[in-house]
Amino acid sequence: MDNLAKHLLQRLMRRIPASMLQSTLDKWGRLTAEKRKSLDFTQSKLTITQELVALCEESELTVKHITELEMIYVTENPNQGMWHTFQLLDPEDDAHSVELMQFKEQFKSHLSELKRNVSVKIKKHTDEAVWIRVAWGDGLSRPNHLKATYVVHYLQTPYVFVNALSSKNKPLLLQALTLSTKHQQIKAANLSGQKLTALRDLLMRQYQQVFPTKYPSPLPESDQSISKLRIEKVQAEASANRHRMAGETFGDGMLPALQSAFFQLETKFKDPTNEAMTQRDEPFICSVKFSSSNLLESLRHCASSGIASTPVTPLLSSIPLKGRNYFVITDNVPNA
Amino acid sequence: MSLLKPFSKLPDLNTANILLVENEEQFQQNLANTLVEETAVTVTVRLAKSLPLPMENDESRPRIDLVVFIINLTSDKSFESAKASLKYLVPGYFLGKVCFMATNARHASVRTGCLDALRQLAVSLHCPLLFAEDQTPEGAASSARRLLTILKVASGLVPNTTALYLSNLTRCTMPPDIDQPSFD
Repeated sequence: MDNLAKHLLQRLMRRIPASMLQSTLDKWGRLTAEKRKSLDFTQSKLTITQELVALCEESELTVKHITELEMIYVTENPNQGMWHTFQLLDPEDDAHSVELMQFKEQFKSHLSELKRNVSVKIKKHTDEAVWIRVAWGDGLSRPNHLKATYVVHYLQTPYVFVNALSSKNKPLLLQALTLSTKHQQIKAANLSGQKLTALRDLLMRQYQQVFPTKYPSPLPESDQSISKLRIEKVQAEASANRHRMAGETFGDGMLPALQSAFFQLETKFKDPTNEAMTQRDEPFICSVKFSSSNLLESLRHCASSGIASTPVTPLLSSIPLKGRNYFVITDNVPNA
Repeated sequence: MSLLKPFSKLPDLNTANILLVENEEQFQQNLANTLVEETAVTVTVRLAKSLPLPMENDESRPRIDLVVFIINLTSDKSFESAKASLKYLVPGYFLGKVCFMATNARHASVRTGCLDALRQLAVSLHCPLLFAEDQTPEGAASSARRLLTILKVASGLVPNTTALYLSNLTRCTMPPDIDQPSFD
């Protein structure tokens, strides 16, 4: 096992938390059962790493196998790093019938045409997602496995999620993706965040939607307990309206755990009491960032408790409706 | 404008009616559940976010004996909303039928001066200021007990006492300044 493989394995072991180590190695399956049993997982990580390196050397594993292990780990724990979303546009007529084998071959061939010495690994996950790992090299050097890019795409959807892509390689990757999925254009979708699962659930609407209904609640029960009869909410209708509108905008139940929203304002300063600022002609550039452990949940609570006025302003409702969390707001066209 | 009037309706037998006004609508539910468990008196609770109350319910609403403003000291909005609701009460209510209840008084994020401002308000209106702990059921139970004491007097169910007499004992006063020397 050469030095690169050892180095890669050591770096990877530092990334994987001790609790997940055993299950990840089991899934990997490159070490025989008896070798895995011989590893004592109660020791310190450094000791386990050294033992693991020795075992891998015995089994003569190469860089290729180590990258498999890395891919398994990242696939199981996608909520790390920063994921950016891209949207494919203008599908050709046969875009809907692109299937996995065809996509794999096309992607690999397109990417190797654009840049030599790239190492590509494509795998289909259990939930229909296609995971692609790309290690970039150029004509002179071998692929750099330490800084690999990960791409997640659900076939027949227009969305692609990308992690750790440098700006040098961005046009190459995007072109390869566009060609292999039989679209004509790709653009940035203005949605990025740390949790891949949240981004995916938001874009593909995998949360409970609330649809407007004419008769929202069933007939009230007639046999309520005495104590409940004595408590009455005086403004119940207003409160129920707020809840309903908040639910219609943001959804019901568990919402995808989006963690930030960024608004770049380029609007004129509007404050009737501050003459000096309002006299200026140039727009006042200001950026507002919202962050939270679950941003959509907090926005929904703001709307239902009356902190944010209902019906919810399009500035906030565009986050779930358009599936974006980066907005540039100018005077003439909001949410441009 | 629908002002709330204390004596515009007839009372019911052995009944006390309390109105809990809270901007966040959180603590009032727990308090209400505890208050209605009282057996000696029939307590009805009305919950509101702010005043004025809607005109449509006016007919079905009973005579409100005690109005309690629940103010969360960590939120400025709570205080502003309570202050804005005060003008929808007829001045007759302030003779012992209004009470302020502050929650989260020991919280780290209470803005300095917020508690003092609330105290000033309670002093100027001659109303009692109670402090409540809203995170545990015991906190709700003890606040409910104190409110019941005031409520029974305010609804006239305690002989030889009226709300005005009680308010002379329970009303909030500003504590004397610590800087000023207390001896000459």
